[in-house]
Amino acid sequence: MSLDPASSCIIYLKERSFEMLKKDLIFRNPLRLMGYETEDILPEGGFGAVLARAGVGKTAFVVQLALNSLLRNKNVLHISLNDPVEKVCLWYKEVFRNIASQYKLDQIDRLWETILPLRLIMTFKVDGFSVPKLKERLADITEQNIFSPHMILIDNCPFEEDAAQALTELKSMALQNKQHIWFTVRTHRHENTDSEEIPPRIKPVSELFDAIIQLQPRDKVIYVKNLKKTPAAPKKTMLFLDPTTMLIKGKK
Amino acid sequence: MAINTQNVRNIGISAHIDSGKTTLTERILFYTERIHAIHDVKGKDGVGATMDSMELEKERGITIASAATSCKWKNHEINIIDTPGHVDFTIEVERSLRVLDGAILVLCSVGGVQSQSITVDQQMKRYKVPCIAFINKCDRNGANPDRVTSQLRDKLGHNAVAMQIPIGIEADLQGVVDLVTMKAIYFNGENGEVLRMEDIPEALLDQATQKREKLIDAASMFSDELMEAALEESVSVDLLMDAVRKGTLSRQLTPVFIGSAYKNKGVQPLLDAVNKLLPDPGEVENIALDMDHNEKPVTLNSSTDDPTVALAFKLEDGQYGQLTYIRVYQGTINKGDTVINVRTGKKIKIGRVVQMHANQMEEIESIPAGFIGALFGIDCASGDTFVSPGTNVSMTSMFVPNPVISLAITPNDNKSQVNMSKALNRFCKEDPTFRTYVDAETKETIIEGMGELHLEVYIERMLREYNAEVTSGNPRVAYRETITRKAEFNYTHKKQTGGSGQYGRVAGYLEPIDDEDFSFENKVTGGSIPTQYISSCEKGFKQCMAKGPKMEFPVTGIKVVINDGASHAVDSSEMAFQAAARGAFLEGYARAGSVIREPIMKVAVETPTEFQGVVMGLLNQRRGMIVGSQEEGPLCVIEALVPLAEMFGYSTVLRSSSQGKAQFTMEFSSYKKVPQSISEELVKKAAANKKNVA
Repeated sequence: MSLDPASSCIIYLKERSFEMLKKDLIFRNPLRLMGYETEDILPEGGFGAVLARAGVGKTAFVVQLALNSLLRNKNVLHISLNDPVEKVCLWYKEVFRNIASQYKLDQIDRLWETILPLRLIMTFKVDGFSVPKLKERLADITEQNIFSPHMILIDNCPFEEDAAQALTELKSMALQNKQHIWFTVRTHRHENTDSEEIPPRIKPVSELFDAIIQLQPRDKVIYVKNLKKTPAAPKKTMLFLDPTTMLIKGKK
Repeated sequence: MAINTQNVRNIGISAHIDSGKTTLTERILFYTERIHAIHDVKGKDGVGATMDSMELEKERGITIASAATSCKWKNHEINIIDTPGHVDFTIEVERSLRVLDGAILVLCSVGGVQSQSITVDQQMKRYKVPCIAFINKCDRNGANPDRVTSQLRDKLGHNAVAMQIPIGIEADLQGVVDLVTMKAIYFNGENGEVLRMEDIPEALLDQATQKREKLIDAASMFSDELMEAALEESVSVDLLMDAVRKGTLSRQLTPVFIGSAYKNKGVQPLLDAVNKLLPDPGEVENIALDMDHNEKPVTLNSSTDDPTVALAFKLEDGQYGQLTYIRVYQGTINKGDTVINVRTGKKIKIGRVVQMHANQMEEIESIPAGFIGALFGIDCASGDTFVSPGTNVSMTSMFVPNPVISLAITPNDNKSQVNMSKALNRFCKEDPTFRTYVDAETKETIIEGMGELHLEVYIERMLREYNAEVTSGNPRVAYRETITRKAEFNYTHKKQTGGSGQYGRVAGYLEPIDDEDFSFENKVTGGSIPTQYISSCEKGFKQCMAKGPKMEFPVTGIKVVINDGASHAVDSSEMAFQAAARGAFLEGYARAGSVIREPIMKVAVETPTEFQGVVMGLLNQRRGMIVGSQEEGPLCVIEALVPLAEMFGYSTVLRSSSQGKAQFTMEFSSYKKVPQSISEELVKKAAANKKNVA
């Protein structure tokens, strides 16, 4: 009968090591190297944009941002405007598996199970997406206490000419609900992605953004550049994406 | 039977429930002179439609199991598989889609593209089945074929193009205008069997010309010749049909036909279209799995001289024994041939070969590649592949999901008991996801399946077809027990109760594993447990897996390693070591953090967007984890993982809270740990049950 206290002790150690594993992953996350002061990079109501040409790794990048939030027990709403739910799920699985194998983690399945309920995916057709619609959908889930996101990702946002008004509306919603929003924006070859300039499509609304990150493929490496020079932004970013795993790495 | 497969069509008729596909089949059989009188579904004459040969189907007016029938139309042999329309029978639907080369997608001109049409369409996409659409019920109030055609484009993403326009609509429907030949077709005679071709009525001429231009535009994407001819304004009927056929076969164009099967209008032109637009078996690529090379896909050749490959896609119990419907993909099945059943490896001699027409048959000599027929006196299960000796390919994967729900059934009298066992025996052969066994403790017969309705239909079939009256208990979820951490054991079994004693000590550890239910490893060195007793140890551990110590659910996912022990020269025996292993298991299990696991279902609910919030709320209430929602025009699909235990009666609740507009499908996803509160409830329930029994 004296076994019981011993076995409960084992549970305690295991749980502790599990929490430590999560903390360890958060600590090792190279995004910290970007040097932003808040853990989320963005403040409440803040906007961030990830710009790159097609196929460079925008989704993989934001999925890593999302996983980082999920590990800190924060809800993430992933809105995809071009991929079906299953494909988005695959992105998460793949990136998570890569992170796990990079750090040689055990208990991956358990960790995965714990973060999964914190994520919700919504997909819309690009032309069927609008801010009022998103607000309606969000109200559907938050009012019933089904899910209230802390971070929202809008993958493949079209950024059309009249984006300013929609973005302002989104911003006030995010501020009110204490959320922050990341966008991925596809740039085009003619938009000269090598320069340090903010592309013309984003420029008119760049004031609304706290971080604008560009992924620049050069010499078989994808560099992560911060185009927005605000006082809060770190002076120099030393990050790149590993083109095989699409994982963010700090430069040695 | 013609060997020339160019004149053969194997088609299916798929649609939403009540779109009238069985009525359409009935008319097809009538016009092809296979039957000589028309009986309607739920008809007043009480005969029922010919394809609904199962009594239950006739009564409910739904088609449950697919029946195969063959008919001849204008020198073409058409084999029709009538597919079930209900979501719970998707195994049947998928199995029949595997056998088809083309399909008619029947849509209701009032209801338009309904949710089941979407499911069926997705399945057709998965199996790359080319299809033509038939907008039925154009005689109904509110019929609007144009709206349905545009729904085909918007909701299903088909490049749908009208091949006909109606002459009159709703109660005034008189016939159709064929946009290819630019002729008006009227259907005269008592049953619409006499076709009268006339010039297009003045009033429709403009509309017909416009629609024809649209048709040519769409079809010219598949033929440069047609495009040139269109520019020169000299489009011939053959050129246009060829281009439409190319588009249809590549699934990039869906020609739309219209009519009303019930009013005998538009069926014959549809049959012409089946002949002209849908592929013959030689034009379809059929893939089999090479069993010698880890189920690697191989393409089959539709030649009749190659080794035989055939798939048994349906079984029926007739008065002369088991009737097996097969489709031959390669080679020929002749009377007297010997083939091998890939699943069992057994040799089978082919006795009688027949061609089926709903529930009548015609004896034939052989079934060549591309044809559908039936065999008598063959012992096999549905989904089995037959091959010539020396070939080892399978048409279906050997993977069959385990049942997730069970029900206890008790026969009401002695006669029913005999009939029940006959029925169960046949159902198990027909449907690999349906299983049955006798509970050793309660002596009850348990049936297992993939959903509530799945089991309900089998219980009803028992009564109808076998006259077996049974009382069923409440549905039970297939819970499992497992452990969460490694735990050691060191147990000595010692008994001295007169006569020779019993002695055995077993030591080692248990640990959780993911990929197997049970695994046993012997790491005993130095003979501390003599080799002859190791298998007894394994047997002892295995015995414990059937009923978990925690809640008496089967235990899964455990690896047992033994590394030490002791024996006695006189008192050790196989019995003693089995008992020692059982004791050791209990000892280890108590320390290994045992948990109960439950089946989690992947649920996809399809609902108009206005009910999205309600549907999500409903899923959430049922301990569901919402994975995501996907908006597709006015509809949205919500994907969630929900415990099966919470899904009982869900369809009723869903229907009532969405005005009947939402539908759902579910399939088994995985086993997951039951939350603490639910686990406690289960324990309480089990204790109460035990008390009641006592």
